[in-house]
Amino acid sequence: MKADAVRGHLDAMLLAVLEPGPLHGYAIITAVQQRSGGALELRTGTVYPALNRLERSGLLRSRWQPVSDRPRRCYELTEAGRRGLADARSTWQEFTATIGAVLDLTATARRAT
Amino acid sequence: MSAGPHVDPVEDYLATLTASLHGPVRAKAAMMREVRDGLVDAVEAQTCFGVPYAQAAHRAVRDFGPADEIAPSFQRELTIAQTRRTARAAAVTVPVLALCLFLVRAGDPEWRLGALAAHLTVVATAAGLLAVTALVVTGPLTRLLPTPHRLPSAVAWTATAAAVGMAVAAVALGVTSALSADWPLTACAGVLAIAAHGVVAASARDCRECARAGRSPRAR
Repeated sequence: MKADAVRGHLDAMLLAVLEPGPLHGYAIITAVQQRSGGALELRTGTVYPALNRLERSGLLRSRWQPVSDRPRRCYELTEAGRRGLADARSTWQEFTATIGAVLDLTATARRAT
Repeated sequence: MSAGPHVDPVEDYLATLTASLHGPVRAKAAMMREVRDGLVDAVEAQTCFGVPYAQAAHRAVRDFGPADEIAPSFQRELTIAQTRRTARAAAVTVPVLALCLFLVRAGDPEWRLGALAAHLTVVATAAGLLAVTALVVTGPLTRLLPTPHRLPSAVAWTATAAAVGMAVAAVALGVTSALSADWPLTACAGVLAIAAHGVVAASARDCRECARAGRSPRAR
């Protein structure tokens, strides 16, 4: 899946991979790629400004802490971030259900009979 | 990016990206440190499986994205950081200017420069209101509203106007203190106005530079 297809969903994906706990930048990128089964061609340079923006908007907070003996900037969800993730999930489910209902031929045929 | 035979692709990339960004020193340093960590991690993730360093470094840089395509989103964040910094400087110092002018005017209702003080107070009030608005829009409201693209320029030029106002106020207060019997109050106010001018003018200059960098063709 090309990077352009990811645009608009990056924020929600970043929030989702941080749900289990704090991660540093590269671990976040790896987590997104692993969760997508390697299908996402994420341009990694777009992730850092997005993390910065999410922190500025209060959805994430960050602090420098040692990871493998090296100080790393680790991000975690705030309460607002958890609420934002829940909203993004329900919006996405509603969207996929609506578009799916239109695209799904079998469902359309079932409704017609 | 100039990739010579002995140039480390990661260091070359970092140098190119660093040179193209403008913003508050600490924010930029933290951003670049994080980018460096990410690239080093990406290289290590491959070299630990036996991929040669040069090949791993080239791949890490390629996956990160071309510096001229990636830089605008970094610059946008740095420009907003500088805008917030300038807005904070204006929000703290502008009320000082307004208070100085108010005190001098209250102490001498017949002050000849009263009309000038009134105009400067209007400039100070406008700058203060815009500064507070910028802090709210680029902070808690980011989730609800997109940050207007012209906000950094608006803050930069309003802070510049406020800095000019502070310089004019400092001169006016200096002249008044030289002619007034109650000179200690006006002299103190003048010194405060000069100090506030120094802080706001420097921050406004940096903000103008960031706003320009954000508007350059490669930053769009």
